[in-house]
Amino acid sequence: MKLGSYEVKLEKKLKVTGWEAAAISILAILIALVLVSFIFLQAKVNPLIGYKEIFSFAFTNKFGLPLTINRSIFILLCTCAFIVPMKAGLWNIGMAGQLYAGALGAFAVAFAFGAKESPNSTLSPGIVIPLMMVGAMLGGALIGAIPGFLKGSFNTNEIVVTMMLNSITFWLVAYMIKDGGPFMGGGGEGEGYKLPESIFAPQIFGGPFTVLIALGLAAFLYFIFTRFKIGYQIKTFGLSPTAARYAGISSFKIPLLVFIIGGLIAGLAGYHNFAAVPGVYKITQNYGNYGDLSFYGIICGLISQQNPLAAIPIALLFGGLTNGGRYVQGKLKLGFGIDYALLGVLMITLVFFQFFYRYKIVWKKIDKEV
Amino acid sequence: MWDFIARSLNASTIFTIAALGELIEQRAGILNVGIEGVMLFGATLGFIVAKTTGSYLLGFLAAITIGGLIALLYGFFTITLGGNQVVNGMGIWILGFGLTAYVGYPYTGPLGMDRITDFFGLSPFFFVGVALIIVTWWVFSKTSLGLKMRSVGENPSVAEVSGINVNRTRYLSVITSGMLMGLAGAIYSLNYNPVWSINFLMGWGFLALALVFFSMWNSFILLGGSILFGTLWQLSLNPELVLPGVLSRYIWRTVPFAMTIIVLVLMSTKWFSSRWGAAKPEALGLPYEKE
Repeated sequence: MKLGSYEVKLEKKLKVTGWEAAAISILAILIALVLVSFIFLQAKVNPLIGYKEIFSFAFTNKFGLPLTINRSIFILLCTCAFIVPMKAGLWNIGMAGQLYAGALGAFAVAFAFGAKESPNSTLSPGIVIPLMMVGAMLGGALIGAIPGFLKGSFNTNEIVVTMMLNSITFWLVAYMIKDGGPFMGGGGEGEGYKLPESIFAPQIFGGPFTVLIALGLAAFLYFIFTRFKIGYQIKTFGLSPTAARYAGISSFKIPLLVFIIGGLIAGLAGYHNFAAVPGVYKITQNYGNYGDLSFYGIICGLISQQNPLAAIPIALLFGGLTNGGRYVQGKLKLGFGIDYALLGVLMITLVFFQFFYRYKIVWKKIDKEV
Repeated sequence: MWDFIARSLNASTIFTIAALGELIEQRAGILNVGIEGVMLFGATLGFIVAKTTGSYLLGFLAAITIGGLIALLYGFFTITLGGNQVVNGMGIWILGFGLTAYVGYPYTGPLGMDRITDFFGLSPFFFVGVALIIVTWWVFSKTSLGLKMRSVGENPSVAEVSGINVNRTRYLSVITSGMLMGLAGAIYSLNYNPVWSINFLMGWGFLALALVFFSMWNSFILLGGSILFGTLWQLSLNPELVLPGVLSRYIWRTVPFAMTIIVLVLMSTKWFSSRWGAAKPEALGLPYEKE
């Protein structure tokens, strides 16, 4: 293509450096924010004021900041749950189902200790809380193992299976907490029973301790994928399952393993969201919204190029945007669902920008013919 | 009993038309996992237009148009930019899911219009679905356009050499499919269950995607599969018709999704694929670049 005296050409990139990838990701996020500002304009709100309100509530307000951090922990866990299978070239879009199952697992443990029958009982947090987390991990891993096992044994499409499991576990939770289900709370509003105060999750720096788990997990995964044999095996499988098989890597074990780990992490996200976030401590009536939010994990995982450490600041940003978005829609009288709209716009911008991971635009001055 | 059968066929129509859209583009080698997103766009925009103008016709036209436009966007990403089709499809799905939640929210609630005339409970769209199935079969097996579409799905390089414009043919099939998916979404929101709420499709698009794999890319098997799924869906809503009092109604809601997994597993076994696996378009999901 010619523009004036310049020639614009697309050239294939052979390799994307870390800095290039970071620059592309940041640009994609900025473009998405610019696109979302049309929503503000349409609602007759100055986008600059809109974003100022969002960011100041999300990151400087003493009520907003804790909410942002809770939300970011949740998104970071969902991101890790997405990243691990993605490294093996597999799509886990079942974080929603896995986190519902994790929540059920955690509350099943508390239930077994009589938390529902005697809400004022004093349970030993040192025993019950770790067991609840184990329950959450088992629940998530169990649901995660299904697509992994089916992929490994029969090469069944994991996208459809994980999506089906989202719907299945959604209704299982409804069964457990509504219409007299085993986990239904006393109020009769169709929500789960409330945990006794003795097993509320411990807090550090005024937030739930799960922040340590999320950050530790991101660092741990980073090391697994850069330093350990199993990490290389997973990545090799992701690049080419056939080549991996020649290298002696099992094409049954890898899909099973990555989905079990993914499900396990998403299960922890379920524990965090329903049993550790201050003020919640029950499976809420609108649990489906948190399943929807888990899809931010997909975007965060893709935009960070599946780098768990790079995902940390992005999860914080998305946590702030979704939280602040909810706040401004009340304050500035915007329509419901700014966070949903942002989710969609971010995703499609990112899809467009993946083009620049593969191509670069080259400008060349055309030499005047002599 | 007839009521139940009619409701089931009405539900199956949505599967038929949406999955037919997917089938058409898959025959041309394009995999679109974002089918649910396109349906959500069609359903939501169709609902809004019908509710504000009071005209079903405009609602359906809007749904078909937006379906085609979203598919055009998908085609641009997939055919022109040549990106990973799964990533692009996910993008379309999440865009649809997120944006329609925001755009549709002020219209939450029932449509509040007279229902479209039906034949003893059977929606006229059922016949539209059957007609579309026949037309698709005829186009693919009897016309040169169908042959072109199939050949770009099997081996695009050979098709290009024999004088077929691969990209143009693929765009044509992608846009046609998007229009069908948009229509299917609007049949859900304007006829089958005319109430808008957030993410109300809850997996219908993904069920339709599974149906295409199930159909072996044959439009008549697709019709049979849709009727099976429609019946199963309706049964999961009214389990008391068959097994009164057994299991909670919430557990019944999981049945169609669980069945989908089971069917999909059967289809991917060696036993099955070695017999009927050859029907899969050879170039499905692969980007094509001119040499």
